[in-house]
Amino acid sequence: MPQPDVNSMQQAVIDGDVNSARRLAEALVASGGDLLPAVEAGFIAGIRRVGELWDEGEYFLPELVQGAEAMKAAMAVVQPALQAAGQAQASRGRVVIGTVEGDLHDIGKSLVGVLLSANGFEVHDLGAGVPVASFLAKAEEVDADIVAASALLTTTMEVQAALVKALGSSPRHQRRRALLGGAPTTRRWAEGLGAAHAENAVQAVAVARGLVG
Amino acid sequence: MSLVDALSAGRPLLLDGGLGSAVIARGLPRGTPPEAWVLERPEEIQAVHRGYVEAGSDAVQTCTFGASPVRLAAFGLDHHCEELNRRAVDLARAAGPRFVVGDVGPTGEYLPPVGTGDEARWRETFARQTRALMAAGVDAFHVETMSDLREAKVALAAIHREAPGMPVMVSLTFDHKRRGYFTVMGDPLIPALRALAEAGAVAVGANCTLTSPQMAGLVEEALAGVEAPLVVQPNAGAPEALPDGSFTYAQTPEDFARDLAVFAAAGVALVGGCCGTDRRFIAALRRRLDEGTASP
Repeated sequence: MPQPDVNSMQQAVIDGDVNSARRLAEALVASGGDLLPAVEAGFIAGIRRVGELWDEGEYFLPELVQGAEAMKAAMAVVQPALQAAGQAQASRGRVVIGTVEGDLHDIGKSLVGVLLSANGFEVHDLGAGVPVASFLAKAEEVDADIVAASALLTTTMEVQAALVKALGSSPRHQRRRALLGGAPTTRRWAEGLGAAHAENAVQAVAVARGLVG
Repeated sequence: MSLVDALSAGRPLLLDGGLGSAVIARGLPRGTPPEAWVLERPEEIQAVHRGYVEAGSDAVQTCTFGASPVRLAAFGLDHHCEELNRRAVDLARAAGPRFVVGDVGPTGEYLPPVGTGDEARWRETFARQTRALMAAGVDAFHVETMSDLREAKVALAAIHREAPGMPVMVSLTFDHKRRGYFTVMGDPLIPALRALAEAGAVAVGANCTLTSPQMAGLVEEALAGVEAPLVVQPNAGAPEALPDGSFTYAQTPEDFARDLAVFAAAGVALVGGCCGTDRRFIAALRRRLDEGTASP
């Protein structure tokens, strides 16, 4: 069976077409060919393009989320096949991610998680309203390289600061790098705390690569 | 004089500044919503309100941004909805402003496909908060920091239904994209503000996210493209970290006041501040408005 073409895979993600992405992923697996190059040139290239369209102001939250949903649907099909074929991407690093305590905004953080997963990171998403202690416990459990925290309210940015402080002051956590994001946060603010910062989900991938590279 | 009469009198009305950032400055523990202090530390909330009235605010907005039942439920406070909204109004009223504005913020939920929000649930949550604020006796409502026009319209309609005849202002929060000003959901500035005005908002505008220099273009476009009175409440610049882990905002009160006085002189009907602005910002703006000095 021939592999579906990578342009269709890309387009399914760009269009946020969950069913099409899933069908293409199934066809890809059934084709029995080399999965990883097709996944990278297809679905992953698609989600990168979605991120660019967001950056360019062409896409907004609904399109971004729908693209991520299509990406997730495809990866849910492909991932087990990749693993069975021993083609799983080598993990670029382990990331614990969450929205901080007092803050319920889940979306930006979830997108960062999806994009990091798509780009080869092992992601542990703790959800929203996560206390500092839970970040630390999970980071230790999985020996995270990066602890990523989102805050969408100026009133919860202080929890991010407390998290960075807690990471820096504990010998068990000092090697982990903090990555902060969320609408009210700025690079200058994060760097003032000694943390990395990402403006958006696309940038978060580049920053995370830099942190583990 | 009602808020609507005051709006038509032709002089800009001065709202207040940030509330959440002000109570953080007063020691609100991290992870605690400001609304919790309405019940636990009312003297702190009242002190913030009083500071704004002393600084010259015509209207103060109640500490009820997150006091809709849906939002309160996340902190286990939803069964306190009525009491919390009532007490928040009492605290604002006791500070002695001309107008007490019932503040209504977003649920924090998004409609599918982004989230699992539900318009019927939103109608109910905004209706319940409105009833509580109305029973306590507000002079107007302000639906603010909305990032989805649909949610803003649900809130506006719920308030109209529960509080017929009450003036309702609605502010969305916009990003400045390459193609112009949009909410994160993709609502473009002028059509969104027009839709809210057509739905009966007495004033429409923007708050949060953007700073006053970033809002200059928005104000210009909105004044040209929207007939309804405009309400504008920018942030005080971008937050910056201090060595102790707390944060400050980049803008000075004078810089903020100068920009906002220019907006008012250009025709913005209601001016005030959002995150990071405090009584110093409002006092500086009051001086500018009273002097009529809109030039730099």
